Amino acid sequence: MQKRLLAILLVLPALIMIVLFFIVPLFASVVGAFEVGGTMGLGNFTKSFELYSSDMIFTLVIVTVSTVLIGLFSVSIGGYLTLGENPRAMAALRWLYRWPMFIPFIVVGQVMRTFLAKNGLMNNILVSLGLLTPLQTVGFLDWRGIVIAFVWKQTPFVTLLVAGAMASLDRSTIEAARNLGASRLRILIEIVLPQIAATLMVGLILSFVTMMSVLSVPLMINAQSPTMLTADIAFRINAHGDYGVANALGLISLLLTAGAALIYLRQSVKERS
Amino acid sequence: MTMQTFLEVEKISVGYGTTTVLADLDLGIGKGEFVALLGSSGCGKTTLLRTIAGFARPSAGSIQVDGRDVTQMAPDRRGMALVFQSYALWPHMTVAQNIGYGLKLQKRSRGDIEAKVAEMQDLLGLSGLGNRKPGQLSGGQRQRVALGRALAIDPEILLLDEPLSNLDARIRLTVRHEIRSLQQRLGITAIHVTHDREEAMVMADRIVIMNAGRIEQQGSPEAVYNKPASPFVAAFMGAENLLSMQARVTGEQIELHEGAFNSSTVTARSGRKLLSGPVELRFRAEAARLVSNNDTAAREPGALELRGQVASVSYPGGHWRHAVRLGTDEILVDSITPFAQGETVKVRIPAQSLFIFNTPEAPAPAH
Repeated sequence: MQKRLLAILLVLPALIMIVLFFIVPLFASVVGAFEVGGTMGLGNFTKSFELYSSDMIFTLVIVTVSTVLIGLFSVSIGGYLTLGENPRAMAALRWLYRWPMFIPFIVVGQVMRTFLAKNGLMNNILVSLGLLTPLQTVGFLDWRGIVIAFVWKQTPFVTLLVAGAMASLDRSTIEAARNLGASRLRILIEIVLPQIAATLMVGLILSFVTMMSVLSVPLMINAQSPTMLTADIAFRINAHGDYGVANALGLISLLLTAGAALIYLRQSVKERS
Repeated sequence: MTMQTFLEVEKISVGYGTTTVLADLDLGIGKGEFVALLGSSGCGKTTLLRTIAGFARPSAGSIQVDGRDVTQMAPDRRGMALVFQSYALWPHMTVAQNIGYGLKLQKRSRGDIEAKVAEMQDLLGLSGLGNRKPGQLSGGQRQRVALGRALAIDPEILLLDEPLSNLDARIRLTVRHEIRSLQQRLGITAIHVTHDREEAMVMADRIVIMNAGRIEQQGSPEAVYNKPASPFVAAFMGAENLLSMQARVTGEQIELHEGAFNSSTVTARSGRKLLSGPVELRFRAEAARLVSNNDTAAREPGALELRGQVASVSYPGGHWRHAVRLGTDEILVDSITPFAQGETVKVRIPAQSLFIFNTPEAPAPAH
């Protein structure tokens, strides 16, 4: 009996933390989403959809496009690190690709702002190389800027997982394919990728959820309309003190990420069975 | 078994970084021949196989198949298929997809592929398993899928990298014969890497014994077993009993000097390359005969007789194994009937079972 008491006592701090800092606030904001002027209703949601439905689509498209690109880049980098034949290039790539992981999102936003603007670093270089005239330059500080920032920041993280999984594959499964005449691209797509698909999926879903919750990048790069839901939530609270709509928007983005989380959960259940 | 050389490995040197694994190695293999590369781990046998397959680049030398130089060719252009130690089956593909992948890469028609896959499944006793994934197969079945995948592309040379080492001991015995009879039926040239002496003996036409990156000896199983050319080969082929003696070589005779446990013995030289001086004697436990100390039967001419005491007796099956102590040395001798522990016994080793080599450290000049 005493042992059981001790066990509960040991779990209690963790339990209190979860209830106090996770369950209660979540519950409060879910309830808050349905509160309109002291009564319960769907008012916040109709208002959210009236004002921000284009932002919802904008958010979903940006995050989805970024996720796809991150997947492509991380598989390419991981594939080169696994199947490459130039040891020097592989060592350089292995050393380089991780750096963006250690740079915070706000700094990424800042860097991209100075780099991608109409008279930013990228266009200056292109003009000085004679590839563009100053009149032809275009700024990328719209949805493209956000996608570039997300992909730049998140690719290393997914690559880290993917390259790790590829490195721990049985090398002879790759050699067996080479022995039968498969090209490196075919080996990557038909032999390597299927074997690490679960890891890639986990990396992409975690990235998806992370990107859904980033506020600094859309604020730095694309503060005009349409923008991402995170910026809208911040705006509702800071400019209007409108917690109701902010909570409703929060719940909507939670549902969007829940879709991704569901895929993740089904995947991990399938793996365990 | 004289035949034209089909696969020719000439003066090949292979190394990883600064370490040399193979240096100046020559090997010729005839068409349809089954050759076993035998050696302990780290002897370079797998490196030699991988170099032949095209997965390791030689720093010098050449490899030719049927007169054409394949040294710089990609693995798939050499007409060889490799069966990996871990089988290396693709876990996400079915048995049929695994077997048919090489044909798919050759852009063969779907009908062709299906027919060939079915043929392979019949040949290897995998019928009805085409839709299974490798994870749902037993070890022996996986091994056969790996074999089928390699054979499906009709290679001229089949390379086997310890394909039996992951199987249960009992299955291994049957798979040995399966692979051997398959190879004979198809008439395919095969190179088999193994560290298992018995496996090599049972399967191969010719055994190539490797040690420290060199070929120590090659020949038919009975030749390397009965006429080992070096102490290493003798020990590797089971002659683990080791005695040191002094010998004098005169003409066609070898005289082993009298020692603490043996009287002076003269035996035939039988073509051995031997110099007078310190020698090491090797023989197998089953080649020696154990008799009681008061047995007075004359020993055969040329046989060596030792006198010692039985230190321990065990029964590994079929015969009794005795550890016989000769001073500080201990030798193992088999006998149909057991002798008591502590009993003084005579050990008789027939002339043809004695392997005599000069002690490598100090080859004394002839008297």
